Amino acid sequence: MNDRVEIVHQNFLNRVAAGLLPPGAPPRAGLAPRDAVSLYYAQCTSRAMDRTSRVMQSRGQGFYTIGSSGHEGMAAVAHALRPSDIAFLHYRDTAFQIARAQQVAGQQPAWDVLLSFAASSEDPISGGRHKVLGSRALMIPPQTSTIASHLPKAVGAAYGIAAGAKRLPEHRVLPDDAIAVCSFGDASLNHSTAQGAINAASWTAAKSAPLPLLFVCEDNGIGISTKTPEGWVAASTNNRPGLKYFHADGLDIFDTFATALEAAEYVRSRRRPAILHLRMVRLYGHAGADVAAAYLSKAELEADEANDPLLHSVRLLGEAGALSAETALEIYNRAQARIERISVEAVKRPKLKTAGEVMASILPPKRACKPTNGPSPAVRAQVFDSDLKSIEKPQTLSKLINWALTDQMLEHPELTVMGEDVGKKGGVYGVTQKLHGRFGANRVIDTLLDEQSILGLATGMAHNGFIPVPEIQFLAYVHNAEDQIRGEAATLSFFSNGQFTNPMVIRIAGLGYQRGFGGHFHNDNSIAALRDIPGLIIACPSHGADAAMMLRECVRLAREEQRVVVFLEPIALYHTRDLLEENDGKWMRTYPTPEQRIAFGGVGVHGAGKDLAIVTYGNGHYLSQQALPELEIGGIATTIVDLRWIAPLPERQLMEATAHCSRILIVDECRRTGGLNESLMALFSEKTDKPLARVTALDSFIATGPAYAATLPSKEQIVSAATDLAKVPE
Amino acid sequence: MTKTAVLICPGRGTYNKTELGYIARHHASRRELIRQFDAMRMENGQESVSSLDGAERFIASKHTSGDAASPLIYASSYLDALSLSQGIDVVAVTGNSMGWYTALAVGGALSAQDGFRVVNTMGTLMHENLVGGQIIYPFVDTDWRPIPGKKGEITDTVARINEREGHFLTVSIDLGGMLVVAGDAPGLAAFEREMPPCQERFPMRLGNHAAFHSSVLAPVAESGRKALLADMFGQPVHPLIDGRGQIWWPGATDTGALWSYTLGHQVTETYDFSKAIACAAHEFAPDYFIVTGPGTTLGSAVAQSLIQIEWHGLRSKSDFQKLQTEGPLLASMGMDDQRPLVAA
Repeated sequence: MNDRVEIVHQNFLNRVAAGLLPPGAPPRAGLAPRDAVSLYYAQCTSRAMDRTSRVMQSRGQGFYTIGSSGHEGMAAVAHALRPSDIAFLHYRDTAFQIARAQQVAGQQPAWDVLLSFAASSEDPISGGRHKVLGSRALMIPPQTSTIASHLPKAVGAAYGIAAGAKRLPEHRVLPDDAIAVCSFGDASLNHSTAQGAINAASWTAAKSAPLPLLFVCEDNGIGISTKTPEGWVAASTNNRPGLKYFHADGLDIFDTFATALEAAEYVRSRRRPAILHLRMVRLYGHAGADVAAAYLSKAELEADEANDPLLHSVRLLGEAGALSAETALEIYNRAQARIERISVEAVKRPKLKTAGEVMASILPPKRACKPTNGPSPAVRAQVFDSDLKSIEKPQTLSKLINWALTDQMLEHPELTVMGEDVGKKGGVYGVTQKLHGRFGANRVIDTLLDEQSILGLATGMAHNGFIPVPEIQFLAYVHNAEDQIRGEAATLSFFSNGQFTNPMVIRIAGLGYQRGFGGHFHNDNSIAALRDIPGLIIACPSHGADAAMMLRECVRLAREEQRVVVFLEPIALYHTRDLLEENDGKWMRTYPTPEQRIAFGGVGVHGAGKDLAIVTYGNGHYLSQQALPELEIGGIATTIVDLRWIAPLPERQLMEATAHCSRILIVDECRRTGGLNESLMALFSEKTDKPLARVTALDSFIATGPAYAATLPSKEQIVSAATDLAKVPE
Repeated sequence: MTKTAVLICPGRGTYNKTELGYIARHHASRRELIRQFDAMRMENGQESVSSLDGAERFIASKHTSGDAASPLIYASSYLDALSLSQGIDVVAVTGNSMGWYTALAVGGALSAQDGFRVVNTMGTLMHENLVGGQIIYPFVDTDWRPIPGKKGEITDTVARINEREGHFLTVSIDLGGMLVVAGDAPGLAAFEREMPPCQERFPMRLGNHAAFHSSVLAPVAESGRKALLADMFGQPVHPLIDGRGQIWWPGATDTGALWSYTLGHQVTETYDFSKAIACAAHEFAPDYFIVTGPGTTLGSAVAQSLIQIEWHGLRSKSDFQKLQTEGPLLASMGMDDQRPLVAA
């Protein structure tokens, strides 16, 4: 055991016995003596868990030692809130969870947390996948973040509470008068994600939109070994527009409770965000392996240890007449003994063993949704208005996505579109045109310019039963916010054993081939960072009819199967009308009737030629169709297979669709390295002996101007590669 | 060496023929407390506990009625709790059904006298308002292994019957490997008709029991709240685990809420004894589970509750019996062979 752990323990025993308690302000009014004692129980239990976690680790029976020692004042924050106030917690908030458990009948917080230390498959929040704080019954979604990446979704959850109160989505879980709370350390306050979330909250408040959100900064003055400048947290947070600042002594449960209650009441009644800044200490160093003495002087360590919040609690409880020092000592010792006894049993519980067990919760559970008959013809006619006249005429990809969105929003009132310029402007490419007028600003939300905030808004709203359809304006912009998908949205079901979900359809405009416009940042063709995210679905339509039918399926996957879906829209095809020659109109499609869908994994098969299968998607499909007449002239009987579903790869459907072809050409507009072509080559190599070839984008960024397509596959390359491949003997 | 223990106080139906004379047999030395209990009975014009306990013969209609059984069981149980050996460190107290009132006194939230007053008042109110009854039915086999789907079958049947016009039926107690259902005469009769007979005894009616822990007792609960005031309730000295698996901690208890639960939810809603035992195991991990007397029947429900959570790896009755021979986990003070393990 780390010496400092034992020193802090002995320090507590000796000082309480001797009455040598740290000085401080007298107990503030507001906290009933019995409640103060209850918080002290939570503090002692949390402390005992920290000590026990180290013992468990030393025996090879525990797998996590980042503790809450010094931060036990968070018990008082929990007490100032309601158990239905959704809480996205810092990893030092064990005392918060224990105190909240006292507010809900029948909880077993010690057993639950110790099961998570032991990585038991019976851990009720993560099923043994990670040591996380969390509980469905206590409305604490699990967080693994050490970098405040849970803050953007807390903003979204707060927005979703207010929106849910008005719009009553079917799967709403948070009461109208709830607030959201998120906590984090002083070091992670500096992370751009935290700054972005705080900024988004301020921005939203400045727009007068309701946002019942309480940020709690647990300021222990140091991030692992790097000290936070004196006064930094206050200076950084107490003058933000629209964000009210509260400060309390986090070592003092009476002050913390009174201030947290004041802050919570402000947030709850005003529906405006606030930040609660708590001054704390960190005992024992960062985690089990971290020896704080390596970077802090003995005097600094001892100064923090002298301010052990449990010692302050004993002093305050005595001054409030709530508890004698003797009884306080007994409670502490009994908590230690109790947690040690429980840990002996918790480590015996089963662990995850197989890959199947680990992966069982990557996909969220399906859920029942009320059937909907869709809008009446009259309502639909009213909403579509003048568009109805042209609904049977061939249209572009952009228009048909717009109509599909309109129909889906008509049918499912929980659908909510959000993004930069998606409102009155209708998106930079017009895909969301008229939606703002059709459904109003509450359902078509113009956000601030911050992709982390857009995705956080979506993720948080999804926690309260909405089906968000966030738009990322350009694929290149998702990369700065990708962790909101990779580390947050996509992992929620996994880390909560399917108990929390955030279904959504993320529309991303991307890929190359915009003639001379934009260069790399508007033509990005890298989706590698999305493709390997477990459980994430990526759909990529190549024309309007497929897009409409696939978008409907994506919304179904989100609503009914709670999946996180990326809908990747090829920008260059948004307004493409012609295929082979000017004004042929062959890339336009008529709008499929609203009940038509393309099932998840269903690939598009065009033609029945046996000489060659071209497997492609997006712009590659368009180019392959352009190449087709020349291939036919060359006598190469060709089948074109449009993948449609990029991830997970529809392997069975691909094998079936290409079974009759003797050769396979892969056309991938993404890069040769990390592009889909690698997986496709691997798939066909492993499962067939057919001759293979690929045409791919080069490993380059994309240029603007005349060379916009120089690094991308072309019709000519497809014809050439197909012709060469056709010459290879079977 | 000190051993930690969770005390479990039994409910109705545990003072039977073989228990007659239990108080005199085990607690003759506690004359003063027994005298106080007797005096309280006599003040109400009721037969004293000593007299009931000392009767020449057991008369089921008398001894198992609410106004007699409740004080007999309370006194036996409370006095047993006072008789633990010094090496026992009580880390929490819980009870089954009526045993919750005893637990309140054993745990220090009520004085011995007020505990008696609560039990006697509620027992008498139940007796005077004897509505409906209880039936017990198992969802484990004779080796105490859960029969897959059986619990759901019972609760589905209960729900189905309860939906019928003129029928009332609900789950009264989740009792280890069995469910106790409570209802009115048509509801109970329908349950008896529709659940297949099993293990030669079930479905089994519990004699002289009302529809405890169900909404029909709302008037009893209300009368109880009028007769027994909140200021009787104080801070417990031991953690108490109620029939929802909620812990009431010493010094940290809202005594008004404890009164409200005891004479509200506890009376009118399902009593989840299994969850109380699971909580006792998971949150206190004691060396012993001690069932105070009287009676010998609650031990099996405790063991079945522990099997449900696989405590100490228990999966069946045979596992449990093996563990008991190795060094008991469960001691029932109502059993002569186990009492010496924990009694002074």
